[in-house]
Amino acid sequence: MKISMNWLNDYLTKKIDAQEVEKKFNLMSQEVEGRYSLVDAKGLVIGHVNSCVQHDNADKLKVCQVDVGNEILQIICGAPNVDANQKVIVALPGAVLPGNFKIKKAKIRGVVSNGMICSLDELGVQDFEKKETGIYVLNDSAPIGKDPLQYMGLDDEVIDLDLTANRPDLLSMRGIAYDVKAMFDIDISFDKPKVKRVKEKRELSIFTETEDAPVYYGQIIENVKIKESPYWLKSRLLAAGIRPISNIVDITNYVMLEYSQPLHAFDFNKVNSNKILVRKAKENEKITTLDEVERELLSTDIVITNGVKPIALAGVMGGAETEVSDSTNTILLESAVFDPVSIRKTSKRLALKSEASSRYEKGINHELTKEALDRACELFVELADASIVDEPSFYNQLEVNYQDFELSLDKLNKVTGHTFEIDEVKAILKRLDFDYKEKNAIFNITVPARRLGFESYQDIIEEIVRIYGYDKIGMSLPKTPTEGKLSKKQQFKRNIRNFFSHIGFYETSTYSLTNQFLATKYDVTETSLVKIMNPINTDREYLRHSVIPALTEVLSYNHARKMENIFLYELGKRYTQEAETELISGLMKGDFLYSLWQKQAVEVDFYLLKGIIEKLFIDLKISDFDFVVPENPIPNLHPGISANVLIKGKHIGWIGKLHPEEEKELNVKNVFVFEFELEKIYSAYNENVKQYEPINKYPSVSRDIAVVVDKLIPAKDLYETVKNISNQSLIAIDIFDVYQGEHLDSQLKSIAMSFKFENKEKTLSNDEVDLMVKRILNALEEKHNAKLRQ
Amino acid sequence: MQEKINQLVDEAVNEIESIENLNDLMLLKSKYLGKKSEFNQFMRELKNLSNEEKPKVGQMINLAKNKINNHIQEKKEAIEKAKINEQLAQETVDISLPGKKISLGKKHILTQTIEEIEDIFIGLGYQIKEGPEQEEDKYNFEMLNLPKNHPARDMQDSLYISEDTLLRTHTSPVQVRTLLENEKKEPVKIIAPGTVYRKDDDDQTHSHQFKQVEVLVVDKETSLADLKGTLLIAAKKLFGEEREIRLRPSYFPFTEPSVEVDVSCYQCHGKGCSMCKNTGWIEVLGAGMVNNNVLEACGYDPHEFQGFAIGFGVERIAMLKHGIDDIRQLYTNDLRFNSQF
Ligand SMILES: [Zn+2]
Repeated sequence: MKISMNWLNDYLTKKIDAQEVEKKFNLMSQEVEGRYSLVDAKGLVIGHVNSCVQHDNADKLKVCQVDVGNEILQIICGAPNVDANQKVIVALPGAVLPGNFKIKKAKIRGVVSNGMICSLDELGVQDFEKKETGIYVLNDSAPIGKDPLQYMGLDDEVIDLDLTANRPDLLSMRGIAYDVKAMFDIDISFDKPKVKRVKEKRELSIFTETEDAPVYYGQIIENVKIKESPYWLKSRLLAAGIRPISNIVDITNYVMLEYSQPLHAFDFNKVNSNKILVRKAKENEKITTLDEVERELLSTDIVITNGVKPIALAGVMGGAETEVSDSTNTILLESAVFDPVSIRKTSKRLALKSEASSRYEKGINHELTKEALDRACELFVELADASIVDEPSFYNQLEVNYQDFELSLDKLNKVTGHTFEIDEVKAILKRLDFDYKEKNAIFNITVPARRLGFESYQDIIEEIVRIYGYDKIGMSLPKTPTEGKLSKKQQFKRNIRNFFSHIGFYETSTYSLTNQFLATKYDVTETSLVKIMNPINTDREYLRHSVIPALTEVLSYNHARKMENIFLYELGKRYTQEAETELISGLMKGDFLYSLWQKQAVEVDFYLLKGIIEKLFIDLKISDFDFVVPENPIPNLHPGISANVLIKGKHIGWIGKLHPEEEKELNVKNVFVFEFELEKIYSAYNENVKQYEPINKYPSVSRDIAVVVDKLIPAKDLYETVKNISNQSLIAIDIFDVYQGEHLDSQLKSIAMSFKFENKEKTLSNDEVDLMVKRILNALEEKHNAKLRQ
Repeated sequence: MQEKINQLVDEAVNEIESIENLNDLMLLKSKYLGKKSEFNQFMRELKNLSNEEKPKVGQMINLAKNKINNHIQEKKEAIEKAKINEQLAQETVDISLPGKKISLGKKHILTQTIEEIEDIFIGLGYQIKEGPEQEEDKYNFEMLNLPKNHPARDMQDSLYISEDTLLRTHTSPVQVRTLLENEKKEPVKIIAPGTVYRKDDDDQTHSHQFKQVEVLVVDKETSLADLKGTLLIAAKKLFGEEREIRLRPSYFPFTEPSVEVDVSCYQCHGKGCSMCKNTGWIEVLGAGMVNNNVLEACGYDPHEFQGFAIGFGVERIAMLKHGIDDIRQLYTNDLRFNSQF
């Protein structure tokens, strides 16, 4: 809502300053989006062109002698329409026009020019005239030497309010005045419209068949002279951001701005009926609206009909057939109330949003429906020489029903945490123009009809506090005694993030919505996707089942920008109809550690990934984990370089290298990825306090052996066999070499293992250790046909 | 004899001076002090001396031997030290060469911002609640005083999964869930961080996916003043100790009164600059007293209970704090961006 300061000041008993209004609205009412002069120009004066002759040295220039009141100025003008005896807008030397355009005395082709005769365009005013032809020619009564902006009503300041949905009362200048009254604590006054009605009977009957149009006034206005509106009216519409059209349209718009009551003018002769029927549209009924578009209607739309067919789409747009034109002589003026929800649905469906529809959507103060009509009639007489015939025909199904709310001083003080005095509250209610009764510090407050949408005493508290000032409310803290902490799981999630970030992974933040293909790309679950009914586009149509496709996108993005070493993780979700499963997903590519000048690097491989995951589990005090060959290949992973990960025998996720085809598509090599279900790791996570184990005081003994086995036997099997011997002195097994090739049969491999033995009671002797190694070798030979490599 | 001894000592000392390695020094040592040395010869000759002279000469020989020995010891230490110095010189590296590069790793700035907000409120005694992103219309709108056809639903154009389910448009449904699941209707003091969605085209200032942190306190006397005090603490912790706050009227269907919260500009300290559009204040979040309709819908008697709610936009806070001018950067994951925080 754009506020014209001139207009607002008309209602006030004391003039106020626009800057003050801006400040007060910001702190006490609604956010101000902007404050600006309607015309950003200084140094203008009304001049009379005494004479106008051709410039000697320029075809298109005229030399004018202009009377500006206290002197005659010679001004060169290039406008084709400039002529003697015109009243014009003169920018004197020293004047500043919009865009910081400074007017100076100048010589144009040898002739002195003391200023400029202006067009409205040069003043930054659009739409004031129907057709801009050059300089603006004022009407004959314009006073020479005076300020043209003031004369035209363009000397206005505008405050642009960003209205919230709960303040439809501020969609009218009168509503604005009420709020200004409350904020500034000053008096306001409104004139009652005075209409002279011709006492002659006109046959007009108005009916309705729907409850969604509870109030409808129709007034016949005759002998309407269509013409341009006067300056003041055009200026006020411009200030409000509405384009002046003709007096009929301008009057309806002006009254709407004044009362927030939309009006609609029909060309009564085109209505072709004395009967107006307001009803719901019939399914597939059609109407051609003012914008010449044929609209197909639904039974939820409200239409105004002439008893036979729709002549307007109620509250949204008039019909083309009954549109007023230059030849209109008699109009039917509508002032009505329609159901907000119905208007909202229609306007949304047809994408027809107007000043009128947005007011209907938010609710109309039906107390003013008749008064607004009268105000328009008054203006029709004044500005269109019209005669108002007879009283309006109408029906009104609404009763005046004021809302009362009870609010005790105690409650007010308890909710605000501030001590209000009873007189302070009374003074604020008075400023707000809310009627009240008070007894024993309990207020019974009646909300005026112009304030719609109050739900409880809480709304009253809001009114009191905003007028009182939020800055005057004190500060304290809730007294609720509670313990602040992360839950065990929240702490666990932080630990996971800390782990990956500290070890060198960047956390990503990617979108959950993706396209159908990517949503399932690395999915192992085979559950159905969640689809958005009204997606933004097909790339954001499905909720994802895996985070990996987003990570490979991030990889591609960064790789294309010359980044070689990319380590990513994200805590995302897999979304199905039934559940949202939290995931830990990651991607690794390039060197984990490197030194270019030393030509050293640790490049990511399966075992680095595996080592990191092992470290994660050990950090989380999870011991019983395992990496197993997948029974079915994991989608898009290298079948030979991937593993399922188990904790306590239960599948929790997978790790592996991208399938070569996938790498080819991404144009990146050696990419490793992993995805786990967070909850499954969490359930194995042990945060019990770890009990100290004494450090062995006897030295440990190490022995290395190498065995030759079939190359298909996994190292893990050898491990298991050794572990199963169950020797308490064997405290660590490690593999330090794996060899295939020269000197070995191609079906065989050599595995070198290192064992560490110790005993808590004594130092182990060589013989004891030899015996244990021998038993290990025997077991390996027996189970795996492993031979000691000599 | 004495002359002979002195001469021998001088000779030895001179020879020691010229020696440069330990090996030569050991040879010299056995030459002068060894079994076949001249001093040993002298010692053997002692028995030929008179009883009077014996101790005198003996002492003289010992003193001479000690002197040589001391010189040898000194020389030995000097050679060893020189050797260490030589080793040090050889091993000295160019410490200005780059270190080995280890992948750095960082939490995402949005995570860091959420954890910062969480920690502020944990310090104030709040617990953290989470809720589903696929939310029922009932919890996302209806029970938050946003019935079907409420004009404010336009403010947050939503992505629907079915007639009754949608991607939550704010974290406020966690308020409803928390109040509903509290069967004894005890006081509640929680924050709820999470991901939310709107039907917006992504541009510099809009993202169809973003993060919020909701704060909710419901108790018998939780007041507007409590809200102000809480907001001030959060503003100071997030934007600096000298910050002040300002409340302006606003509108959210689930709070009444509702306010926008401004923080005094941390760039110009209130004087006015481009960051605060010359107002000295920066709008950071929305808040308000919980609407009675919400309390009632969740089974809390509004005559008995009252409370406040705060909604942080995590992206907004992060962008303000770090001067990020395009929200899409928070979802692009350009590592040159992610590595900066
Ligand atoms: Zn500033």
